[in-house]
Amino acid sequence: MMPLRRFQMHQPKSVKEAAEMLAHYGEKGRLYAGGTELLLAMKHDLLRYEHLVDVKTVPGLDKIEAQNSSLRIGSVATHRSIEKSPLVKERLPVMAEMTRYIANVRVRATGTLGGNIGFAEPHSDPATLLLALGAKATLQGQTGERSLAMNEIIVGAYETALAPDEILTAIEIPLPARSQRAIYLKFQIHERPVLGLALIVDVDASGNTITKAKAVVGAVSPAPCRSDKADALLVGPKDKVEKQLTDAARALADAADPVDDLEGSAEYKRHLIGVYLRRAFTQALASPLRNP
Amino acid sequence: MSEQKKTDFHVVNHSVPRRDGRAKVTGKALYVGDVKLTGMAYARVLRSPYGHAKIVSIDASRAAARPGVIAFLTGDNLGGLNPYYGHAVKDHPLVAIEKVRYAGEPVAAVVAEDERAAFEALEFIDVRYEELKPVLTPKEALEKGAPLLHERKFEAGALRGFEGDVTAGRGTNICQEAHLRWGDVEAAFAKAAAVVEAEYYFPMAYAYAMEPYVAIAEVNENGVTIYSSAQHPFMVRHDLTTVFNLPVSQIRLIVPFVGGGYGSKSYTKIEPLVAACAWKAKRPVKLQLSVEEAMLTTRSDDALTWMRTAVDSNGKIIARQAKIYMNTGAYAENSPLVCEKATNRCVGPYAIANVQIDTYSIYTNTVPASSYRGFGCAQVTMAGESQIDELAAKIGKDPYEFRLMNVAHPSEEFFPKMRAFDGNLKQDLEIVAQAIHWKEPRSKGRGRSIGCSVSDAGAYPLTSTVVRVHADGSVSIMTGSTELGQGSHTIIPQIAAEELGVPFENVRVVASDTAITPYDRSTGASRTTTLMGRAVLEASREAIEQMARMAADVLKRAADEIEVIKGGVQCGEARLTWSEVISRYYGLPDGEVIGRAYIRKSGDFAKLPVFWETACTGVEVSVDEETGRIRMEKLATAGDVGLAINPALAEGQDIGAATMGMGIGLFEELVYEGSQLVNGSLLDYRVPRFSDLPRDVKLQLVENRDGVGPYGAKGGGEAALNSMPANIANAVYDAAGVRIRQAPLTPEKVWRALKEKKAEGRKQ
Repeated sequence: MMPLRRFQMHQPKSVKEAAEMLAHYGEKGRLYAGGTELLLAMKHDLLRYEHLVDVKTVPGLDKIEAQNSSLRIGSVATHRSIEKSPLVKERLPVMAEMTRYIANVRVRATGTLGGNIGFAEPHSDPATLLLALGAKATLQGQTGERSLAMNEIIVGAYETALAPDEILTAIEIPLPARSQRAIYLKFQIHERPVLGLALIVDVDASGNTITKAKAVVGAVSPAPCRSDKADALLVGPKDKVEKQLTDAARALADAADPVDDLEGSAEYKRHLIGVYLRRAFTQALASPLRNP
Repeated sequence: MSEQKKTDFHVVNHSVPRRDGRAKVTGKALYVGDVKLTGMAYARVLRSPYGHAKIVSIDASRAAARPGVIAFLTGDNLGGLNPYYGHAVKDHPLVAIEKVRYAGEPVAAVVAEDERAAFEALEFIDVRYEELKPVLTPKEALEKGAPLLHERKFEAGALRGFEGDVTAGRGTNICQEAHLRWGDVEAAFAKAAAVVEAEYYFPMAYAYAMEPYVAIAEVNENGVTIYSSAQHPFMVRHDLTTVFNLPVSQIRLIVPFVGGGYGSKSYTKIEPLVAACAWKAKRPVKLQLSVEEAMLTTRSDDALTWMRTAVDSNGKIIARQAKIYMNTGAYAENSPLVCEKATNRCVGPYAIANVQIDTYSIYTNTVPASSYRGFGCAQVTMAGESQIDELAAKIGKDPYEFRLMNVAHPSEEFFPKMRAFDGNLKQDLEIVAQAIHWKEPRSKGRGRSIGCSVSDAGAYPLTSTVVRVHADGSVSIMTGSTELGQGSHTIIPQIAAEELGVPFENVRVVASDTAITPYDRSTGASRTTTLMGRAVLEASREAIEQMARMAADVLKRAADEIEVIKGGVQCGEARLTWSEVISRYYGLPDGEVIGRAYIRKSGDFAKLPVFWETACTGVEVSVDEETGRIRMEKLATAGDVGLAINPALAEGQDIGAATMGMGIGLFEELVYEGSQLVNGSLLDYRVPRFSDLPRDVKLQLVENRDGVGPYGAKGGGEAALNSMPANIANAVYDAAGVRIRQAPLTPEKVWRALKEKKAEGRKQ
């Protein structure tokens, strides 16, 4: 790490002002929402910005609130506040549990959910789970607001669909139905996970048939990934699905197309997808139903 | 000496709380990073992007014109200095001259009013390189026609510490070689009942210390003064005398607390570069490297070891042969000594009648390798202790019993011409076996291993010290030993307090300032307790002798009527404390008595090694056969330390060393892609965490008082590392039936081995 190069920090009072600042500074500016990834890259001299627009001080952007059938997490809510939030723990325990194991406590105390998604680091834990949960990101620019699904906002490694003047203001996560079980597992050796795997299954009243499933694998390739084919193979009577797990894992691995890197070979990651899909499936079916 | 058998210790052999503990955990302890001199400027370093290249030209004029820039340093503007240094081989320029030999090598430095200005100026230095073909592995470096890293011949450094001739710069990329043989290896293998032969790999590793390299230098008419994180200030001083062509009295090294070393802080690192910057800038200059830069400064030698070991029909080890290729990187640093030590330590703690070890230390275009805790022992013990288990398996013996049968016995001359063995490995092994419940059945998926090692430790016995007893009875010890976390500043006053019979609180240490503290060769090779400890003990006794004579003088009695008691003297009814002796002698309640000691290669220290450093470690692991991930379930250590001056600190050394060895066994490895180090940061290079340790840890000490140090003490601190990588490999074999001979045993490596085993199982 090098000393940080000189830059100016701007603290807008509103999202609108932040959007104007981003538009004004263009490529010389960048959104700052915790900096646990951004400042690291700047200290390694991999990125250079003359202006950082700090949205952590914009009032209200860190709110965590329940809506009718969803949870709305303000983009600058820190991981730590999500992990500790009674509301998240009660309504969406899988989110609190996943967040508890993001990086380390110092990162969680500073890093924010919006910053994590906006930086699009390929090993993001939240991105993988949020894609499985069907979360949507609310973006606000100078000209208005729009909403994107997770696979629409994260388009590649460190690449998002955010327009230059757009700010991610909140993540809206639909609350799972009573019949749903959600699991997030990861395998990690270094600072970032080798693999993250989220699985949401709908189980019928008997507890023996899966009526709907969504599996997402992250960290093995540039962006979290899912596969219709894999999800289809995960639906049906429990015994049948168990036999199809290998095929489902293969379909998911094909869709993810893992890369060779310091975390492991593509072959090993494909194998791990199989191991973790099975583990997630077993845990999902063994976990008790949520309280109504 | 009869005092060696003293048992009623009042300070020694007690775990008094470490002296610097509170200051360190509250952030008050002074490190070089905290030091700020008046008028101090800051340097930053431009590093080579190429592994091997000719420097066609360097133009720093644009950088020099930047705001805040005071001076710059390149290989072109060193006129007046002798820029090559190295205590072993003088092959290392303080900044690249004419060519670069590894990616990350310093090519230029900028000095500016603040660190950021210096850093921002770096990209305005225009360097034109002409790329040369790099050699990255010993194999490539030894190929016919391989490009040479060093074209010049080198002289041995004055303090080289190794015996053999210098090989470096003799027309090949061999930096150093070492050969050891006794008996008749070929004949022994020919008649052996069983032989195991294989190749083993110990990875390139970085001895991570929380404090990266940092130094502040000031050069003026008084000479050169350097504050540094160096572990061996006196050896750095010697290098600086040659760089600046100044007498010893004009080079001063000051070392406050060092934030961890583990080998990485030994010998000269950035001091010549910082001193040259200060000389250019005519200002005090500070250079603080980042962890990433520290990883581009030094590393461990990785080692490929071919080894075979033979037993006779009784299960007695009769022969060992090994050929070791160590990758020493771009400069020799301490690798010639590591090469020689690895050769000796490859024999292992066994009495073997026929031995042949040939070691080659090879230059490559990678980060220079140097000392790493254990000095080559960890590298070769990965091979040695794996092979012992393999051999035991081959002849159907329990590996623990097999070791018990073959380890060197107390007082056995197991290594020709060296000191007889001064430890008790049988006892160490038994203690560890009991601690990990060796004899009890293993649960499914779990495996155990016990390993041991022996090192010719203590480096060269050359140490001196001064113990000053003040008129109020308090004591100052002048010691050249550096405090780098190992606890020397606690055990040194413990020894003086014990000898002088004064409270521990009243004994203070003045440390590691070469202008003030007497010469101590180094703080390494686990030597401080043994050598500095012994020096402090003898200097304390010398002070006591002087004070006894003074007491005779003030009491007007014959010297032989004075009896030394705890904290003073007695003569008939008269009792005097040290304070009273000194005050009455001088006629004022002030003044002091100076006790001195010089340790050299003579007397108890005539025979090398100073002591054999020995420890035994044991582990139980579990293996997740689906992912290949290993978890530590149990860890036990037995430190064979003679006598622990401070048991808690001795145990602390053992858990630290074992954890470091566990890191190599499980995940630590520097990875190169071409000539680029690709995991040179703590994000990608995995150091052990507390959570990697098992819940079940047992640390034990074996105290037979069989060392030459004070009260029979000898050193510890390295030995518990050495056997750990092999332990992990052996325990994985025990748990899952796969033999992995390359550390680290990453989950993927274990998974691949298991997959291969399954595939073979299907074939059969």
